[in-house]
Amino acid sequence: MLVLQVLVNGILLGGLYGIMAIGMSLIYGVLRIVNIAHGALIMLGAYITFWTFTLWGWDPFLSLPVTILLLFAVGYLVQRCILNLIVRAALYLTLLITFGIEVVMVNLARIAWTSDLRQTAPAYVAANFSVGGLTIPYVRLWVFATTVVLSVLFLLLMERTRLGRAIRATAQELRAARLTGIPVGQIFAVTFGLGAALAGAAGAMWGVLFPITPILGRALTLKSFVVAVLGGLGTMMGAIVGGLVLGLAEAFTATFIGPTYPNAISFGLLVLILIVRPTGVLGRGEGR
Amino acid sequence: MHILQGRRVTKMFGGLAAVSLVDFDLQEGEILGLIGPNGSGKTTLVNVITGALPYSDGDVLFRGRSIRGLPSYEIGRLGLSRTFQIVKPFRNLTVLQNVMVAALFGARGGARDLAAARRQAEEVLEFVGLAHRSLAPAEGLNVPERKRMELARALAMRPTILFLDEVMAGLNPAEIDDAVALIKRVRDRGVTLLVIEHVMKAIRNLSDRIMVLYHGEKLTEGSPEEVLNNPQVVSAYLGKRYAEQARA
Amino acid sequence: MNARRWVPLLAGLAVLVLLAAAPGIFSAFMIQFLINLFMMTILAESWNIIGGFTGYTSFGNAAFFGIGAYTTGVLVTRAGLPFAAALPAGGALAMLFGVAVGVPVLRLKGQYFAIATLGIGETMREVVYNLEVTGAGTGLVMPISRSPLSFFYLMLAILAGATLVNWWLSASRFGYGLIAIREDEDAAGAMGINAPLYKTIAFALSGTFAGLAGGVFAYWITFIDPDAVFKMSTTVQMIIMAVFGGSGTVLGPLLGAFLLSSVSEVLATQLATLAELFYGVIIVLVVLFMPKGLFDLIRRREFSFKYFARNLRENRI
Repeated sequence: MLVLQVLVNGILLGGLYGIMAIGMSLIYGVLRIVNIAHGALIMLGAYITFWTFTLWGWDPFLSLPVTILLLFAVGYLVQRCILNLIVRAALYLTLLITFGIEVVMVNLARIAWTSDLRQTAPAYVAANFSVGGLTIPYVRLWVFATTVVLSVLFLLLMERTRLGRAIRATAQELRAARLTGIPVGQIFAVTFGLGAALAGAAGAMWGVLFPITPILGRALTLKSFVVAVLGGLGTMMGAIVGGLVLGLAEAFTATFIGPTYPNAISFGLLVLILIVRPTGVLGRGEGR
Repeated sequence: MHILQGRRVTKMFGGLAAVSLVDFDLQEGEILGLIGPNGSGKTTLVNVITGALPYSDGDVLFRGRSIRGLPSYEIGRLGLSRTFQIVKPFRNLTVLQNVMVAALFGARGGARDLAAARRQAEEVLEFVGLAHRSLAPAEGLNVPERKRMELARALAMRPTILFLDEVMAGLNPAEIDDAVALIKRVRDRGVTLLVIEHVMKAIRNLSDRIMVLYHGEKLTEGSPEEVLNNPQVVSAYLGKRYAEQARA
Repeated sequence: MNARRWVPLLAGLAVLVLLAAAPGIFSAFMIQFLINLFMMTILAESWNIIGGFTGYTSFGNAAFFGIGAYTTGVLVTRAGLPFAAALPAGGALAMLFGVAVGVPVLRLKGQYFAIATLGIGETMREVVYNLEVTGAGTGLVMPISRSPLSFFYLMLAILAGATLVNWWLSASRFGYGLIAIREDEDAAGAMGINAPLYKTIAFALSGTFAGLAGGVFAYWITFIDPDAVFKMSTTVQMIIMAVFGGSGTVLGPLLGAFLLSSVSEVLATQLATLAELFYGVIIVLVVLFMPKGLFDLIRRREFSFKYFARNLRENRI
């Protein structure tokens, strides 16, 4: 019975990890940039949701579209104004600059909102329901449902729209995409915006479940990367699968080994995966 | 004397045989031309021999000893050096420094101190005709200069066998003639050469023997006259034009 | 070695002698500032070995710093070893860690290597956080030293060592090998350079100096906990100092560390967050406008807008 509970917890959390990873995987797949600032974008989403809730009483799930739009704008601008300028630079420079952006964002957050712990806590946060001996908090279920909806929407966007096709084309063959008239700079900006939007949505929901601090994103960047690599950098399905795997791994570790170990496990898993199979479970051949 | 022997060398990529059961015997002091249409496996064969790619099957013997499985740096130290089809300059270094690296690490471990390596590098640059550009950054070279630097680096390793991979690509006819003359001078210094080339005029002038690959397999080998007039070889490439050229 | 090589060596020696005399001249506050400056320079130079010369951008070198700090700390507080023995042990363990981790991780390319090192940095913090012997979350308290000045000379000595190694790398067979690996690893291999071995040595060397600095730091600060020594901002600072000054050069990390430390020291008196924000902004600006660092700017004597504009245009989409 405990096992079942842990399983459910893991899956519910895993959906959230999946959304985070999709954003990271998308950005890497199209831009070939590992976005070290990913966690900072998640953090931003969490804070936006917190403040709209605290100041104006907006329900965190209902304010999602606003958060998503705002984060999209931030991501779009970051890519358009900064990252597009160094796209062809050496790899370590693109890593450094996203690193720098992360540091700037985190410290601006510290200055603006202090390091005090926050939490988006609408009234229903404590409510849960029982089914067959399992206790499931409502919020977790709604978070999971939201991640499912977002995943489906995202998949539809990528598969069924012209924009999605343009993005996929750019990811696969940059030069050919350029030659067919796709405005690559614009596509890059939109892609980063989308990745940021997904990160923001994930952050919005994270803030309902866990405490919010300016550095909440640091561990999450790595986890997003673990998940994205697990599933295969650049694949969307892989990110979802990977998210579930990590969610389960953490849930089991927390319950059966100790509550302070989950982070160590996920980082250790990351290093292990990178060494053993950098292309991930579902990924295409890259990495060595 | 057979300095390098290939026995049934095979390299598969998934289900595709890029190189299939290729045998060859390289005589000491000869220039062996390696030709074949694009995708016939020439560069792949050299990559396998020099340790850049792992074997799928077969073996290669250097002076009777198997070199299969050795990492590329050990093969370089044994005395087999190569140029790359798409040249790989050390961009942030000068031409002289580029060649010095090769002199520091070449055959039998290379020179041990910088002064000796510098002297060696200067000598090689003089030989290939690039001495006047010694202090130029490698980035700033034009195409024929880059090719010469690539050759200089391979030579500075003091190789016993040198694999040249399409060094003539991108050169105009006058430059090609210069390159042919240079390569012959390299052979005169005692280096055995295996030359991959597409430029038929050059290969004909340069080679003692020619080997032809087609779809990863050895099609034929022999003297330039035999091979270049061989109807199979001609049709493997793209026909009559080359047959005409060969007879001219 | 010819005449040209002697000059920088003698100049360095002169600076060393001058610095050694500093405690007699400067205030205690200044001495503390210098100790911190020396430490940051050591870290920047240590990063320079693997990141600058070899071209493998490591984002986890704080792990070595922390390992050095904790090894020294644990040996002194739990095993009762004298500091003189614990410090080298800290450096040695950091070196071994560099070899053990380096062998698998250095096989990864580009961003995978970077993220793996990021992961290692974070993993080490979490592991130390969970272990009893390291005091878990509460940290370690070190004994107070009888001679505060010894830290100054220790850091200076380690700094001299790190600078010497950087200087050696800039013109030695081994150094050329590392640079060749950075420029084109395949070509380097074809030339006879044993890349896996060289990379691992570079990584281990890098770790050793960071570990030694960490060991001294632990004793100097007298209290360490996982958050203090496995700090992301330590990694940030060492990378940006090296890159800002000029990664892959000898003077670069020295310049970068000196300039940035000084500015950040001023800022930190206002607000620690401001210092880190400053670093973040500097990173973004440096990558955009002067990725080759200050040293390149000085070398070309091109102190104009054109230099920056050119860098900006070179890498755009």
